[in-house]
Amino acid sequence: MVTTASPVTAELTAALRDVLGDAAVLTAESDRAVYECDGFVIDKNRPDVVVFPRSSEQVAAIVRLCNEHNVVYVPRGAGTSLAGGCLPVGGGVMVVLTRMKDILEINLRDRYAVVEPGVVNVWLTKALAGSGYHYAPDPSSQGACTLGGNVATNSGGPHTLKYGVTVNHVLGVEAVMPDGSIVEFGGPSQQQFGLDLVGALVGSEGTLAIVTKAWVRLTRDPEGYRTMLGVFDSIDDTTNTISEIIAAGIIPAALEMMDQGIIGALEEAFHFGFPLDAEAVLLIEVDGLEAGLDEQRDQIVELCKKNGAREVRQAADAKERQLLWKCRKQAFGAVGRLSPSYCTQDGVVPRTKLPHMLRRIKEIGIKHDVRIVNVFHAGDGNLHPIVLFDERDAEQTKRVLLASHEILDECLACGGSVTGEHGIGVEKIDFMKKMFNEDDLAAMARLREAFNPQGLLSVGKMLPTSGACGLEQKHPGRRAAL
Amino acid sequence: MTTTNPLPLTETLAPGDIDALVDVVRDCCASQTPLYPIGGATALDYGRTPQQPGIGLSLSGLNRVVDYPASDMTITVEPGITMGQLRETLAGERQELPIDVPQSDAATIGGVVATALAGPRCYGLGTIRDYVIGISAVDGRGTPFKGGGRVVKNVAGYDFCKLLTGSLGSLGVIVQLTLRLRPIPEKSALVVCDVSDSEMAERILAALVNSGTTPVAIELLAGPAWQNDPVLGDLPGGAAGRIAVGVSGTATEVDWMIEQLQREWNQQHVTGVRAISDAPADELWSRIVEFPAADAPLVIQSSVRPSDVTGLVEECRGADEACSVVSHAGSGIILARFAEVPNDDVARLINNTLRPAAVTADGSLVVLSTNLGNQTHQTIWGGRTDATVVMESVRRQFDPQRLLNPGRFFRD
Repeated sequence: MVTTASPVTAELTAALRDVLGDAAVLTAESDRAVYECDGFVIDKNRPDVVVFPRSSEQVAAIVRLCNEHNVVYVPRGAGTSLAGGCLPVGGGVMVVLTRMKDILEINLRDRYAVVEPGVVNVWLTKALAGSGYHYAPDPSSQGACTLGGNVATNSGGPHTLKYGVTVNHVLGVEAVMPDGSIVEFGGPSQQQFGLDLVGALVGSEGTLAIVTKAWVRLTRDPEGYRTMLGVFDSIDDTTNTISEIIAAGIIPAALEMMDQGIIGALEEAFHFGFPLDAEAVLLIEVDGLEAGLDEQRDQIVELCKKNGAREVRQAADAKERQLLWKCRKQAFGAVGRLSPSYCTQDGVVPRTKLPHMLRRIKEIGIKHDVRIVNVFHAGDGNLHPIVLFDERDAEQTKRVLLASHEILDECLACGGSVTGEHGIGVEKIDFMKKMFNEDDLAAMARLREAFNPQGLLSVGKMLPTSGACGLEQKHPGRRAAL
Repeated sequence: MTTTNPLPLTETLAPGDIDALVDVVRDCCASQTPLYPIGGATALDYGRTPQQPGIGLSLSGLNRVVDYPASDMTITVEPGITMGQLRETLAGERQELPIDVPQSDAATIGGVVATALAGPRCYGLGTIRDYVIGISAVDGRGTPFKGGGRVVKNVAGYDFCKLLTGSLGSLGVIVQLTLRLRPIPEKSALVVCDVSDSEMAERILAALVNSGTTPVAIELLAGPAWQNDPVLGDLPGGAAGRIAVGVSGTATEVDWMIEQLQREWNQQHVTGVRAISDAPADELWSRIVEFPAADAPLVIQSSVRPSDVTGLVEECRGADEACSVVSHAGSGIILARFAEVPNDDVARLINNTLRPAAVTADGSLVVLSTNLGNQTHQTIWGGRTDATVVMESVRRQFDPQRLLNPGRFFRD
């Protein structure tokens, strides 16, 4: 583990230009400003140099140069991550993988595709349109986020309830190791013998290696869908319905909850016809064989009604279904109508604890005098409370952080986790000590040591002991409104 | 698989709780004594036969259900609970862990996670790695550590659930597991047809990729073991094997899929098409699941691209006419049970013929069991690659003295 990394020198920058060409190396202050944060805007810091490799060999060359010059480096995809996973702690070299953007192979017979890390999630879905297959993980940012970033953060999305998260769909990866070697783990065949290092790499938030290629599994398109909108007059009725649907043994493709606060913003943005006086709505989708769908729909409608749903609407056609999903996936964008800034959390609780948790979120909001709206993956118990604020108001910002932390503490008290899909990054690093004891964290540090003994890759991420201390930032990190 | 215990044990201890287990590991660590974790003892001959004498660490005393919040569809258990006991516990709530393993009355959940061998339903429902959401283990220093948690979605910290699944006890002794569960489907059935040769088999398998049905299992059955099957009857003249497709879901869905698949196969002029349900389906299913556990001179497992399955099956059957095969063909996994190995030369067969064929298909091949003498690490697991070098450095971090299952999985 490094304790002191060196600053980026003119010599290193020149060497990077030699390897990558001038157009793939950014050093101007204004250019670097773009890369000072991801979707987590509380902490900001500019990288000293930003590079855009086009091949695994170029990534390997960059890593070797960073090692030679003892300079820290961090990989980045589209920068849509929400926990500061690609914040360049300590500056250094930022390796942006968006120019490695080819879909290298689509093999329908063997149900896999091979992609470069800069391929945008939805590009793969579009490339597969009409083939009868798709790539299942569909994070809400799928129009912008890259598959490399999805692999790094083990992304989820609304459809993970039935189809699983990214790790369930990655068969293999090619990675540039922190020593600059290029190693393949897994590949197109389903089962690999030996340690499951693919499983270890997925979700490692760029702290073990830089993934430069991935073999991903393709999933059969469902024959049909039934998409419903359950309208409720009470939050308790809504959350009880969620628990009962799961407990009844139904596995919906998606089960999403949106409360009154978010419904208003969505209606203003998309004019779907959401009932503005409802306390909450449930977006429920079942998919699969046509033969079984009406039965499942009827069962769900019955459970909603039994729990006091005012009405259950069904998407009339594919167009209406798409609009419903557009509303859900762009919900975070619509939050802009509610406040200048927002901060979202990613806690998870056992699904039976949802009624309790939603009540607590409301109480916490009142206690800290902040407004909280909810739109989340209810079927997984994965909450996304959105705390609204104005980042220009420092006192309010402090209350937002207190409320956020209290919500996450409550998730842990319920036997849950502080992150279901966004990752630890820098944002939740202090929570690791609450979720895991010293021995657990030491074991994680040992896994990192096995991959990343040089300690220059993605410093200051995920583990409280990940070598950030002692690293002096050349530029003072900007802290938004704090 | 195992008839006699192949491990070089000086004694076997069965601690009754985690603290006692930690003490055993720490004592072994202090005295540098190798330790061999043992679950249901059904796969002790998987991996290279260890040579260093050591202590057997039976997990039979750790066999409790820790917490079963059925409405959350998760369960937390100790590793020594058998798959049979687990199945019974879950069936009470109409839930299941859809992982099929041989000898489930003896095999333990800890052993199943440690070996991570895929069963037939991996095509539709995934493998054990998709179901472990929380794990606790004791590393080679005797230090307990955990990863994951008790919720179905969780990305906090490194995924030790994945890292330990399939690690064959070489990074730590698993002491607790939290599993995601599924509802038991209302109905299951098998639809079967005959295949005359490899070409025809591949044609049918390739067409299944675009079938209107959604199978949970796609099995290719070939060789003498399937010649006179009590459920399927005699294989007709000219047929080389059978394809069995497993479907499950609501009764309406299953009935529709049976009809649909029969329609699709009739259009493809496939012969011997029939649906099997209820007790006969259970019987056939159990024979498929138990297949790798039967006594045989050599049993291998290979994983290749699904389109390369029939080619590799031909390689196996070409080397030994009496070789029988169960392939989870939809997922590219092949289990081959050899009756006769030419000149009893396992190493030559594996290293010169079968593994190169698997590697050419971007796959891999391992020996599951053999009674034809002690085999080298190379023969059992294959050669060292860049990836195995990284695995070795992970191993050094978790078990620096190489006391956990030494020589069995790693070249210790």
